[in-house]
Amino acid sequence: MCKEEKMENLLIQETKYTPRVELNADDGTIKISGKSYPENTFDYYLPITNWIENYFKESQNVKTIVDLDLEYLNSSSLKAYFDMFDILEDASQNKKEIKINWIYDEDNDISQETGEDFIEDFEDLDISLVVKS
Amino acid sequence: MNISKIRKVMNEEGIVFSFSGMISQSLTSFMLEAAKTQLENSGEDTKMIRSMFHIAVEQLQNIMSYSKEKDSSDKNRYISPGVLVIGYNEELNKYYVNSSNEIYAESISEITEKLEHINSLDKDSLRKLLREKLRSAEDKHNRGAGVGFIEIAKRSSEKLEYSFEEIEGKHYFHILAYV
Repeated sequence: MCKEEKMENLLIQETKYTPRVELNADDGTIKISGKSYPENTFDYYLPITNWIENYFKESQNVKTIVDLDLEYLNSSSLKAYFDMFDILEDASQNKKEIKINWIYDEDNDISQETGEDFIEDFEDLDISLVVKS
Repeated sequence: MNISKIRKVMNEEGIVFSFSGMISQSLTSFMLEAAKTQLENSGEDTKMIRSMFHIAVEQLQNIMSYSKEKDSSDKNRYISPGVLVIGYNEELNKYYVNSSNEIYAESISEITEKLEHINSLDKDSLRKLLREKLRSAEDKHNRGAGVGFIEIAKRSSEKLEYSFEEIEGKHYFHILAYV
């Protein structure tokens, strides 16, 4: 038997057009915050979605908290989040407890609308709209 | 060079920001942050500025991704010539985002079809269409989800205006969206 490898956490620093990403397997938190309009969205999000997929396969965590605080998403980033929510929905159907917080500024009606769209499209997921104080 | 002529045109057209040249990702970010700060400083509504930002990013990234399909010599950099104008239309009392770039002649019918369809839809239908497209991989290419025009239309207060122009055998696509 090979020794079980501990899953690495993933931290990506924020840039002008990509968000800060903190994926922590130890305490079961997924945090993404900032703006997202990368040059190549697919390449940017691939390691993130791969990590999340592996995490749900390997982690024994009972509960996972997902905090998404995205003040701006371009259309191809929106696509990346729809794909991410698909992964979260699969995990949730596999009896993983997932709590998603969609965080936005009070005056950011576009971000609020995006959160509402996710709630409508992913009925099985526990998504809360959280207004930043 | 007659700079006062340029200033005159800019004043007449209500232009607050304009650029003509090679459009890249870092420039996109730089230009839009500059335009945003300028509008914030003149006390414009935050929601309007946010919509302007959404529209301009999609227009610029459309220009950049169009070049990628044309030229794959550099895999990681997307750069393409184009023109961006952000201005204010006094008659309509609205800001606009206007851009132009060279396209293939054979793209004209495809772009026309897409934009005609988008212009025939109301806001609710646009919202639905966008979500449908995002959940399917239909129009996805290596860089984007192929839904930039829908996003622009969602954030615009008027129907999208567009035209094509042929100059010395080259074909240009112009698009204008009112915030």
